[in-house]
Amino acid sequence: MIDSIATVECNLESATGYRLLTLNFAEEFQILPGQFAMLRAHDCYEPLLRRALAVYRQGGPRQLSFLYQVLGRGTEMLSLLGSGAKVDALLPLGNNWTVEESARAIVVAGGVGSASVLMLCEQLKRLRIDTQIFFGSANERSALGCGLRDFLDLDMPLSITTDDGSLGERGFVTAPLERHLAEDARSAVVYTCGPWAMMKRVAEISRLRDVMCFASLEAPMGCGFGVCVGCVVAVNTNEPSGYGSYKRVCTDGSIFPADVIRWEVAAMSH
Amino acid sequence: MHDHRLAVEIAGIRFRNPVLGASGTFGYGLEMADLIDLNRLGGFSTKGLSARPLAGNPPARIVETHGGMLNAIGLQNIGARAFLEEKLPPLRQYDTRIIANVFGYSDDDYIEAIEILNDGEGIAAYELNISCPNVKEGGIVIGNSPRAAARLTERARRAASRPLIVKLSPNVTDIRELARAIADAGADALSLINTVVGMSIDVNTRRPRLNYGTGGLSGPAIRPIAVRMVYEVACAVSLPVIGIGGIATAIDAMEFILVGATAVQIGTANYYDPQATMKVITGLSEYCDRYGVDSILSLVNSLRKE
Repeated sequence: MIDSIATVECNLESATGYRLLTLNFAEEFQILPGQFAMLRAHDCYEPLLRRALAVYRQGGPRQLSFLYQVLGRGTEMLSLLGSGAKVDALLPLGNNWTVEESARAIVVAGGVGSASVLMLCEQLKRLRIDTQIFFGSANERSALGCGLRDFLDLDMPLSITTDDGSLGERGFVTAPLERHLAEDARSAVVYTCGPWAMMKRVAEISRLRDVMCFASLEAPMGCGFGVCVGCVVAVNTNEPSGYGSYKRVCTDGSIFPADVIRWEVAAMSH
Repeated sequence: MHDHRLAVEIAGIRFRNPVLGASGTFGYGLEMADLIDLNRLGGFSTKGLSARPLAGNPPARIVETHGGMLNAIGLQNIGARAFLEEKLPPLRQYDTRIIANVFGYSDDDYIEAIEILNDGEGIAAYELNISCPNVKEGGIVIGNSPRAAARLTERARRAASRPLIVKLSPNVTDIRELARAIADAGADALSLINTVVGMSIDVNTRRPRLNYGTGGLSGPAIRPIAVRMVYEVACAVSLPVIGIGGIATAIDAMEFILVGATAVQIGTANYYDPQATMKVITGLSEYCDRYGVDSILSLVNSLRKE
């Protein structure tokens, strides 16, 4: 974990309300798929807290990019940063996706949850693991904002859904996942990141089909490195944990086996 | 390596500098070891420790506000015994003062936690948390009443094998009255302030943003309240005072020192700037350079009155 001052290479709008922030670092490091960083404009004290963003892509040993949706004060502040601006970055944080090499992979991305799984898909491709991607968004614009083109460039089997039907199949991303698993659930592992309600459903579908599922969670974070204990999720009490029935998304996760999570206790409201 | 001008003493404990990590924002210290040099730090106060582990409150536990944040963690902690067994041994390799922050739901719980911690080698002092606003028993319930606070302080003083710091709540009508009662009951030092009770509402869902409803406000937003209260308490009692509340820079720390704090604790700033404690230490040395100060102690309670 390093606390670095990075420089903005570019900060481009990928679609209205979505941006791709590319940062250059003085240090070299290796990010594992699924890890995140805590970011804020350098020495910016309003808003006060850094924002947790998944690393979308590693462009080299000193360059990282972050795909994000402009949703509130923190991401609005980030959206204003131009080339050359300084960013305080604490990274790499959190655990990483555990790739089960003997199983085929099903990746379910919802909305800007795509930011946490692009590097996973790249890794699955490198490992030549049979992979199916389900890519869900509100509409065509948000699909493009959430990096659809980058996922298409991977040239892996990909199925698109949008809530309004403006692109791909109309409906939630869980519908084609359900059909897919009904057809064949053997030797599959599901990796998912997206809105809480979506992941809750993905976890349910996976459990019904007896398929292992991993979920990358999001929660408002104070620190990102384990001291504030603000970002917890409720876990099943049979799960051994020094902290009892809550785990920290930042350091115990952000990726958890889905059956560990008590999905009925929301970590945050969406 | 160390700037001897910054050394201070509180209740017989020598700190290499007056900059401490605040309870609840510094974990068990070890979490910070990757980010800062603990050997440069004056000391830190642990996450509140209770006799038995506590699970804490359901999420959402934190929400950002303007210039600060609300939290309702609910004192999630591993328990005093696990602290002794798992955290204290690795902590002893660092040369910094460890203050064990102690919490209980009842007076007996507090005493039990202190008795467990008395066995821990390497703890410099206790900080009695009678001001947590995020639990329904203990904490602020005791901290709101001078009589209840004095009663617990007296018992804790007898049970504790180490100096006893009592951490005060700002959520009272007159903090001087509380401070005097606790001083008379035998506390060795006072630390203040804990968080200010607050509330934030999501107008779309028409629900409080925190699952607990209310939470404790911290961060720069509360600093002027904290400075005023440290000023009042330092005038009211002769005990050493540790100032807490929205400190992020050496300038912030100096405000507290000038109104009577012998040391300060850095809290919420650790979240958004993990280097904050180190920056404050460096900044205090620079302040001493600028004003030709031989000992920071000469600045404690040196507010110009004319």
